[in-house]
Amino acid sequence: MSALRPPFADRNFKYLMIVPAVTTILLVGLFPVIYTLILSFQNVDMMFEDTSFSGGKHYAALVSDARFWESLLHTLIFLVVALPAELILGLALAWLFLDRMPGRQVFVALLVLPVTISPIVAGATWRLLFDNRFGPINQILGWFSDEPVTILWTVDPFYVYPAILAAEVWQWTPFMFLLLLAALSNVDRSQIEAAEIDGAGFWRRFTKVVLPAIWPVMAIAILIRALDLFRLFDVIWALTRGGPGTRTETFSIYAYILGFQQFETSYTAAMSFVVILLLVISITIVLRRMEIDR
Amino acid sequence: MDRRRFMISASALAGAAAFGLPRRANAAAAAAAVEAAKKYAGSEITIVWEAGLQSLDPLNFSGPKWEKETGIKVKVIEVPVAEMFTKILQEHRAGTGAYDALNVIPSWMPDLVRAGALEPLDAMVDQYGFREELQNIAPVYRDNQMTVDGKIYGFPDDGDVFVMYYRTDVLGDPAIQAGFKAKHGYDLPVPPKTWKEFDDVGSFITEHTGGKPYGAAFFRESAYGNFMFQERFRVEGGKFFDPDTMKATVNSPAGVKVLKDWVAENKWMPPGVETWGFVENLAAFLQGDTAMTVSWPPYGRWAAGYGTDQEALSWVPKSTIAGKVGYSTPPGGAPQLAAGFALSVSASSKQKEAAYLFIQWLNSEEISLERVQLPYALRDPFRESHFTSEEYKSRWPEAPQYLAALQAGAVSGLLDLSIIQTDRYEEAVRQAISRLWAGDDPQAILDDVAKQWDALTDRIGVDKQKAAYAAWASKPNAYPHGA
Repeated sequence: MSALRPPFADRNFKYLMIVPAVTTILLVGLFPVIYTLILSFQNVDMMFEDTSFSGGKHYAALVSDARFWESLLHTLIFLVVALPAELILGLALAWLFLDRMPGRQVFVALLVLPVTISPIVAGATWRLLFDNRFGPINQILGWFSDEPVTILWTVDPFYVYPAILAAEVWQWTPFMFLLLLAALSNVDRSQIEAAEIDGAGFWRRFTKVVLPAIWPVMAIAILIRALDLFRLFDVIWALTRGGPGTRTETFSIYAYILGFQQFETSYTAAMSFVVILLLVISITIVLRRMEIDR
Repeated sequence: MDRRRFMISASALAGAAAFGLPRRANAAAAAAAVEAAKKYAGSEITIVWEAGLQSLDPLNFSGPKWEKETGIKVKVIEVPVAEMFTKILQEHRAGTGAYDALNVIPSWMPDLVRAGALEPLDAMVDQYGFREELQNIAPVYRDNQMTVDGKIYGFPDDGDVFVMYYRTDVLGDPAIQAGFKAKHGYDLPVPPKTWKEFDDVGSFITEHTGGKPYGAAFFRESAYGNFMFQERFRVEGGKFFDPDTMKATVNSPAGVKVLKDWVAENKWMPPGVETWGFVENLAAFLQGDTAMTVSWPPYGRWAAGYGTDQEALSWVPKSTIAGKVGYSTPPGGAPQLAAGFALSVSASSKQKEAAYLFIQWLNSEEISLERVQLPYALRDPFRESHFTSEEYKSRWPEAPQYLAALQAGAVSGLLDLSIIQTDRYEEAVRQAISRLWAGDDPQAILDDVAKQWDALTDRIGVDKQKAAYAAWASKPNAYPHGA
């Protein structure tokens, strides 16, 4: 009988089938990482392509590069503030749109529009909105205060973070909203009703019935947005270019300036590799804590 | 141009040389380039050009004209100015040969030459007889923006220089003049010649008119402010480095004074001026909201309404001040040359000769005079013949004064700092300016800049940078004359 078995029944055949996909992923994903690692031990910059081994001097320099650590801190600030804001607002909106209402589909479509806009365009648009001379935001605030408002949203250290966060949260809350709306729509209504009959209040129903049901989707949404926020670039570039000074400079902006404007190629590679390592460690820990890797 | 016309031009050149008529001689460099380029008819060359209005020159005028005369197509690669250096260097590193001719900001030239990205042009300049015409480029551009280590790498092609624009009706208002004299005890200077006078006049106008118009405004946004800082710092007597030790001296009292003066000036300038760039400042001046400003040459043309009825300039606010604008060098008399462009050939080009011939033709006396008069294309006069052109002088009533201001700037203009990895030094200045608007202390800001500059110099190599700085500082327009 075994002689009659078709070749695809061979136990190794399944591995053969995934070879092209795995090779592609390795080439596209792993090769740049390895190349980055190699570059980080060389001495390639704007002027010279010195590919000889230069030791770990770039890594040593990173330790005392205050701008690098500050850029990581700024990235974390955006992450820590924007992520919960988007999650809570997205969840609240999803809850609101859970019930049938007239024009629901139209409103959902309108709410999702910001996600479809390129982040750099969104940033440029917000820059115009915040513009001191022509922007409507100061003018609207002026109506309420009865005198001209001249807040320098992209310059004043007090307002610059709220301005960037407003643009960021405006654009990406709908992403959370969409995913969470889909997740909430699949929650078994009978379980909620049963909990209600048992006397559970809103908070208890939410934490004990709804949250466990939507958690797998919510966790993925959080992870996607966290990774997006970690590489936050476009909106800040359009609004402040990392300023004033370097007060809003994220890691991505610093890496772009060093790598692609100043051509400190090897140093940027070392910087990127350190961040890759930090990210891999963080994601592994987070995945374990979220218990969605099973 | 056909062979017969070329022969006529060549004969005319000989005759003109005999009778000392440079205008005739000038036609020859363009004609020679066209004649030599005809062997490449049917090919296509690419040129990197700043995106936006600048590119309308090769797209609408010079590209089609060159194709008509030589049969060579010109493909324009539009790149935002902030990305031009990156793209040029990336292309060179990749060695694709995708770019043939380049627009290069002169202060980048040493870095690009060190990276091997630019082709030396001396041999072709001699081969196609362009050296004499190059000598007619205004000295400040010719002597400072053409060569690196004695070799020609680019043809200065844009007379970028800061000009002071002032409202003659406001500064000439008898009530304002009388009030000014009563307050300050001296006649209102038209125009102000020093920054002290400028501040006195500007603050008085704002006070007298209640901000209608404001005394002055500038672009304060850091990318533009970098140029204004470099100019004013040197006018105040500042030096960027100690030439012996290469330690940064940007945090000297001159630097601190400039930043403190800026903060003080903002109080009598329009609210929010800290965020103003090219367009905001232009709009305010053209709409009559400010009485004085300093900017690049196009402001002067547009303020006079020159060409602003064209579709390409439909975004420029209609000038309400035509006929009421005076032009001069900014206070201190040593304006920043602020960027500018030179035409170069990419070292990785596979069509170097065709690319060279195109840039010789563009830069020639004959064609460049037409190009600097294109109202939409942003190329500013840079040859002596441009400043004295009767045709240009007839463009609007005050054009002779405008050209005279540009010509004065082309004598006393100050070079942008240009050393190894200049952009990294300038980036520290740009950050400093944005910190200034965020309320940080000027001395602390400049101390940080000096620290960053010193660290950079150490990283690059003190001796290497010292040599580069010495080469730059030895140029006649690195610092104000006599400084």
